[in-house]
Amino acid sequence: MNSTIELLAPRYDIAWYPWAVQYFFMIAVSYASLWLAAPALVFGKKAWLPTARLALIACVSTTLVAPVALLADLHQPLRFWHFYAYANSHSWMSIGSVVLPLYLVSVLGLAWLAWRPALQAQRSAPGLSGMLATWLSLGSGITPRALVAVVGLAALGLSSGIMLYTGAELAIVKARPLWNTVWLPPMLATTGFIAASGLVLVLNRVSGLCSQTAIRQMLYVLLVTCALAGLVAISWFLDGVNAHVGSVAAALESVRHSDSWRNTALWGGITGLALFAAVLLLLTRPTLRQPGVRGAPTSSQPALFAWAWLLGLVAIHMGWMFRWVVLMDVQHVARNSAGFHHYGIPAGSSGILGIVGTFGLWLAAILLIELFIPWRQAQQGGLIATPTHATQDASSTHSLTAKKGASSHV
Amino acid sequence: MDAIRRSLLGQMARLSAGAALIPFSSLAQAGINQQPARREGDPTKRYGMLVDLRQCIGCQACTVSCHIENAAPLGQFRTTVSQYEVQHQESGELATFMLPRLCNHCENPPCVPVCPVEATYQQQDGIVVVDSDRCVGCAYCVNACPYDARFINQRTQTADKCTFCAHRLEVGLLPACVESCVGGARVIGDMRDPQSQISRMIYEHRDALMVLQPEKHTLPQVFYLGMDERFTTRPTAEPVALEVLDPHGQEMGYEFHH
Repeated sequence: MNSTIELLAPRYDIAWYPWAVQYFFMIAVSYASLWLAAPALVFGKKAWLPTARLALIACVSTTLVAPVALLADLHQPLRFWHFYAYANSHSWMSIGSVVLPLYLVSVLGLAWLAWRPALQAQRSAPGLSGMLATWLSLGSGITPRALVAVVGLAALGLSSGIMLYTGAELAIVKARPLWNTVWLPPMLATTGFIAASGLVLVLNRVSGLCSQTAIRQMLYVLLVTCALAGLVAISWFLDGVNAHVGSVAAALESVRHSDSWRNTALWGGITGLALFAAVLLLLTRPTLRQPGVRGAPTSSQPALFAWAWLLGLVAIHMGWMFRWVVLMDVQHVARNSAGFHHYGIPAGSSGILGIVGTFGLWLAAILLIELFIPWRQAQQGGLIATPTHATQDASSTHSLTAKKGASSHV
Repeated sequence: MDAIRRSLLGQMARLSAGAALIPFSSLAQAGINQQPARREGDPTKRYGMLVDLRQCIGCQACTVSCHIENAAPLGQFRTTVSQYEVQHQESGELATFMLPRLCNHCENPPCVPVCPVEATYQQQDGIVVVDSDRCVGCAYCVNACPYDARFINQRTQTADKCTFCAHRLEVGLLPACVESCVGGARVIGDMRDPQSQISRMIYEHRDALMVLQPEKHTLPQVFYLGMDERFTTRPTAEPVALEVLDPHGQEMGYEFHH
């Protein structure tokens, strides 16, 4: 027998739609940005405050949207209460359904505590925002720093649970060799951090905050996470090349003859390397001396930092595309028939509408926060924030004004 | 001595490389993802199927009768017969190989522990079923089944699969596919009863029987007689050539060519 022709194979539809990609992307950005907000909000490191403020809105907005995408991926979304009525402790998905709402509550709790002093200061503002601030700030009592730290620690613990369950949920599926590997969960986590740092860089630019400190910190996080992701990818590949049996070898075998998979792997590898190299370039470029802001002696603005948001976009692309390949493309690999299943992305809710809708919802969430929440003054609890506090924080971190940030690379 | 040292160094290298992941992998293998207790069904029985490929002519009568009996939507199948055109290496002679596929009602079914609401469960008689009133349609089980035996029913929007026609077995009837098989290739029965036809055939052909994807350790309970080992895993063949469309122009499947 030297040739086989499969005469007739039924079409097997994909079981998880692009909603799943959106959920895995949003929740990864959520847990990773929580960790980026943690140094300042939980551990009191003042130098991380600009980063923490940006990371916190990234975290809250994605945490709100992710469960919507998850519900939408169910074929029977109105039966979501079955998760709690008939919980199955044997299933990673069931464990996730318990961790996820707790995580959501802890993140919202942390954000409320961090925003409360600024909300209290905004109570006298005219119109709807003043009314909302009065209602949301719940009294004028002090917000204890310890409480912020405790809630933050709880959120960090629960976020580790999310990291673990989202990875394990895929890694235990023996039926799909490309998922069935211990290397997948760390790869999901590292690419999650890459995407979250990217989002912070983009938000830093779009919000006009343009904090140089945040850019530098995010570039360092990108450098480390890109290196880690590269190590994980290389380990996975070597594992498959060296072992003749085992799931990674089976995974490589299943896509060895596919041009589109080879292109995808090349694209991912080259983009990752390019991102790593560009981050390294930005961090090692000499610092330009500029006249200081508001009469300060001099302010240093490293060359090319104004372009960091572009790297942020590339980083977001990496995080999202990795999930697309893992969740969508892997489902195209036929398990029992020859070749690959073809799946054109439909226009409706199981396709493009789901992708666009999730991003639209995320945009709405972030705009609502921008409209009504003074997120730029978030801090680790303490007294009611006053304008003096805000200025001190701004000048201590070498922030550029929105105008300056915009003009620096026009 | 050298060999021992080499092996020790190898072990240490492997250990250090994967050290960070050990807590994770051991956690993943503990408790979680183990089989939940079986429920309902007759504990004195264990149903299984033996497919005698020597008798199968690929007429798809089983596919059609199952489709009608279980009212599956057009283009979705609980059972189907894969057909392969094979060529002899030396003589160049052509032949057709038939491979009926259905749920294997595994002894270690990977689709059961993943279900977040225990809507899919294994009965005490070994049959894996879905409670479609409880199923949330998360499709985790569809992804977890290595045999593509499950699908999301377009009409009910819940997981659907072969049940060995449990509703027919209960009233003493044979499953639709067994009833309609013209060659008598499909044999179903209670494997706990040593006198049943399936038990006698399993004993008689115990060295020749094969199951699909044994390396997945799912312990399938659908046994194939007259099987070529190369077909127990995914066959290697050429890319899609021709799409098969239903009357509404929707794609139902496809044919491959050289």
